[in-house]
Amino acid sequence: MSDNKTSQLITDGLWYNNGIFVQMLGMCPTLAVTTSAENGLGMGLATTFVLLGANVVVSLIRNFIPSAVRIPGYIIVIAAFVTIVDLSMNAYLHDLHKVLGIFIPLIVVNCIILGRAEAFASKNGVFASAIDGIFTGLGFTLALVVLGSVRELLGSGSLFGQALLGSDFHPSLVFVLPPGAFIALGFILVGVRWINAKRDNEAA
Amino acid sequence: MPDYLRMGFILMVVGMVATAILAATESATREPIAEAKRQETLRMLRMVLPPGFDNEPVNDTVTLADKKLNRKEKPVIFYRARKGTDASGVAYIVTAPDGYSGDIEIMMSVLPTGMVHLVQIVAQNETPGLGDKILPTKTDWLRAFVGKNRENTRWRVKKDGGDFDQFAGATITPRAVVHAVKRGLDFFVEKKELIFQPATVEKKP
Repeated sequence: MSDNKTSQLITDGLWYNNGIFVQMLGMCPTLAVTTSAENGLGMGLATTFVLLGANVVVSLIRNFIPSAVRIPGYIIVIAAFVTIVDLSMNAYLHDLHKVLGIFIPLIVVNCIILGRAEAFASKNGVFASAIDGIFTGLGFTLALVVLGSVRELLGSGSLFGQALLGSDFHPSLVFVLPPGAFIALGFILVGVRWINAKRDNEAA
Repeated sequence: MPDYLRMGFILMVVGMVATAILAATESATREPIAEAKRQETLRMLRMVLPPGFDNEPVNDTVTLADKKLNRKEKPVIFYRARKGTDASGVAYIVTAPDGYSGDIEIMMSVLPTGMVHLVQIVAQNETPGLGDKILPTKTDWLRAFVGKNRENTRWRVKKDGGDFDQFAGATITPRAVVHAVKRGLDFFVEKKELIFQPATVEKKP
């Protein structure tokens, strides 16, 4: 595989085809867990691990699974990886697991993972699928950390648990509540579109 | 082999492999998970119980159930702290069913005199920024329980004519916590003998 294609996979996963900003997939974990930057980071990394594992395995078995039953097959693979993440996190990162606990099983139904398994890993080799999994996952993590940071900063005046804005700052509670997730994501999407449009204009 | 059988067979193989891997993961993580939970309880107990005990409260427990502790009468573990042979305090979890958003689990410790030593929140799901001001990381509201007993305190929030502050915009949560701790304290006073009875069976948590 050419370096060109690898670098395109990387930039696509991180930005141009970002699971959240562009494809708008996986909204449930995105909106629900991003009340703080730390939660976003934890959820993003857990999802990245599942994406990497699921992509590699799906790519390995892609010629072995008949296409009529491929979706249930992929779901088994994804669910297995999610359970592994759930158990290992509970054992070794117990505090983070307490925060993310109820959202981890939901990774199974994160459309990004099934989307990448179906659209990419089932048609490509192991190496390309691994790269795609890692960088789609990191793009997802990036989106969650950005959204989590904005909400934490505006909603509690802190970032990664560190109080940043002085006591004169009055946090706007709505940003840690569910509506704030939609509002913040909306403005972030505007920003992303604006950056991309500007770049396209310059290229043209 | 007909097609439908082949598909079923392949799915079965995938399922079996996944099951085997999961079984291995589960048995590898069972011990660490139990240990992490034990450590968590221990950390909580150290925080809540009066210092200076010389036994292992995690191993010196008695389990009781009552409507006062939680509405469903689920068994509650009482962790007893002792200094020598004297009881120096007990910690247990009470559940407030009437929070704003789901149950609030509260760990309280009581001295043998019937005085509340400390109160901690174990689990809550209250509105961030309003109800969650009960958390010690946000305000020191929980300190108000220190040193309170049945006689020296009116166990209501100020709005209801009691001694405990409520928060602007959030009365339900503090009210729920105050009432739950009050019920927990009532139970302690009524069943003190039972709570401090010698452990009949050394139970591992």
